[in-house]
Amino acid sequence: MLKRRLLTRRWVALMLFLPLTLGLFTLLVVMPMFEAANFSFYKWNGFGPPTDFVGLRNYDDVLTHRHFFTAVKNSFFVIAVSLLVQLPLALWAALALVANNWGISMIRTLFFLPYMLAEIAAGLMWRFVYDGDYGLVPAVGETLGIDTPFVLGDKFWVMPAIMLVIVWKYFGFHMMIYIAALQSIPREVIEAARLDGVSRWKITRHIRIPMIRSAILISVFFAIIGALQLFDLIIPLSGGGPSNSSNTIVSFLYQFGITRTKFGFGGAVSMILFAVCVIITLAYRHFLLARKWD
Amino acid sequence: MIRLAIGAGLLAFAAVPAQAETTVDWLHIEAVEGTAAIMEAAAKEYEAAHPDVKINVQFLENEAYKAKLTTLLQSDAAPDIFYSWGGGVMSEQVEAGVLRPIGDVLSAEARAAIGEAGISAFTRDNSLYGLAQNVSQVVFWGNKDLLDQAGVGADDMKTWDGFLASVKKIKDAGITPITVGAQDKWPAHFYWSYLVVRQAGQAAFDAARAGEGDGFAGAPFVKAGQMFLDLVAMEPFQDGFLAANFSSASGSFGDGKAALHLMGNWDYTVQRDNSASGNGLSDDQLAIFPFPTVEGGAGDPADTLGGINGWIFHRDAPDEAVKFMEWYTSNEVQSRFAAASVYIPIVAGSADSLANPYFKEISDNINKAKWHAIFFDQELGKDVGGVVNDISAELSDNAISAEEAAELVKEAVDDSL
Repeated sequence: MLKRRLLTRRWVALMLFLPLTLGLFTLLVVMPMFEAANFSFYKWNGFGPPTDFVGLRNYDDVLTHRHFFTAVKNSFFVIAVSLLVQLPLALWAALALVANNWGISMIRTLFFLPYMLAEIAAGLMWRFVYDGDYGLVPAVGETLGIDTPFVLGDKFWVMPAIMLVIVWKYFGFHMMIYIAALQSIPREVIEAARLDGVSRWKITRHIRIPMIRSAILISVFFAIIGALQLFDLIIPLSGGGPSNSSNTIVSFLYQFGITRTKFGFGGAVSMILFAVCVIITLAYRHFLLARKWD
Repeated sequence: MIRLAIGAGLLAFAAVPAQAETTVDWLHIEAVEGTAAIMEAAAKEYEAAHPDVKINVQFLENEAYKAKLTTLLQSDAAPDIFYSWGGGVMSEQVEAGVLRPIGDVLSAEARAAIGEAGISAFTRDNSLYGLAQNVSQVVFWGNKDLLDQAGVGADDMKTWDGFLASVKKIKDAGITPITVGAQDKWPAHFYWSYLVVRQAGQAAFDAARAGEGDGFAGAPFVKAGQMFLDLVAMEPFQDGFLAANFSSASGSFGDGKAALHLMGNWDYTVQRDNSASGNGLSDDQLAIFPFPTVEGGAGDPADTLGGINGWIFHRDAPDEAVKFMEWYTSNEVQSRFAAASVYIPIVAGSADSLANPYFKEISDNINKAKWHAIFFDQELGKDVGGVVNDISAELSDNAISAEEAAELVKEAVDDSL
């Protein structure tokens, strides 16, 4: 009887809340996705309904585009640096700043600040930092007596320069995830280990890090998907240049699909990106998160 | 009692629209406050003279406007009158059927006052779709002090060979010869476009865009790219030009950091507004030079590159919208913009009001030109135009050969036909 009443209640809640959420999700996420998939088979400049069916030609155009693989390569470079530099740095900072006192909270807030800044604002700010005439970089270079390049106009330096901004901007976010997880580790566990004379490094290595494993897995996942979707820092910083050497997959989509009103081409890029994201998500679930869901 | 109240209510309701009022939505992209104020004052003035018309002035920022327009024109919020650069972008709008032909409403006097070039820029398949407002030309803006210092005069830069020699001379004098905002790409496309205008000429350009023969992969277009590469090989641009955009390049020219800047007449105010000092170069320091001629080129030496911009109308726009614009683009209103050195109006008679000596000279140049080529990135439409911008920026970086560049433009044209 009680069970039945609970079920009815659940049903009412579902009927009350689900339609709106599902409706919004369908309208804003699912439908545009299917629309983009549909457009990707047409040559379409955005006027009227698409009518010029071209089959897989847009996909062919994307895959043979002379700048597409640079964009793919850059996106994977961003993933690599995020995982190998940004996350370890965030973990290190989290371990150092896990305690709760006034001074440490201040430092934490300071590290978290860049994350709260709008991407465009951060991009424009760093554009000034890198500016070869008036920026911080040439000023530092001058003090040290070295000639600094115009980093954003240099094919070799532009990606490392962008990566520095990304690490600066997002490591605080990952640090916060780790800190939250670290603080939820029961104090007794650490104390017990300490009483047994386990060294600090061993506590970190064998107790703390394993115990925040799920937080790390989530943050790795955020880092990968975020890297694949990177767009709004690229545009104000380098605009994808010089000579299209710093585009990511999404800025490539924007530059060569949207601004040129080639929506079919853009649709094809987004479908390819979508496929990559799905594959990574499924693989990630299968190989890394599997143990947790067992 | 109730019936009486309803009756009174209906009466009151009926009394309000004593005159039928037409609202005209006018969407512009003018971000400079002073200029926008002149526009709004004109709208108020028209409303006062025509109580049955209400002009609703709307504004969108340039880049946002370009990105939004296609969607906007197909929505209920479509403006009646909106800004246009003509060219291939407008052709697409005409083909999509979102524009209103205005030939039936426009008076013969207005047509004559705007003149042949302005009318043909907004005509497609013998139908007129818009009213031309202003013309612009791309020229070399020069810093007289620096050019004098290097010993270079206007006569030295008349031909392309002379220009290259001058660039070398300026460089040897320890001065940066040219600024360019190559990150924005379109400032670099002025070089390739102008060299095409000089080397290939109008007939070859028209044939190429129609996909005839070798199209844009033909010899004169490859040659134009090669000539640009000859200039690039001299490393004439400021340090970090690939990371510079239009406003920073313009500002550094205004700060006297380079001798030359290839840019439209609007640079007159932009170089001042974007300079670190805020003053820019004075009229005494500034000079303009036409783009050098090319020996053996098929183009007429007097041909110019620039724009003819104006106003076009949504297919649902009322006649009143066209009537308002006819008045707005007349000399009566446009002379105010000429006097304020905002732009060079196209309408006959407005040249007399041009206060700015450079604008006067440019206005003469355009009048003398047999072909006033519209900016290629506008003329060729967003897609092909985008490719022209790409290859121009890459040529400035010496990242692509002249043959490859020409071939890429041809492919884009073939793709769009």
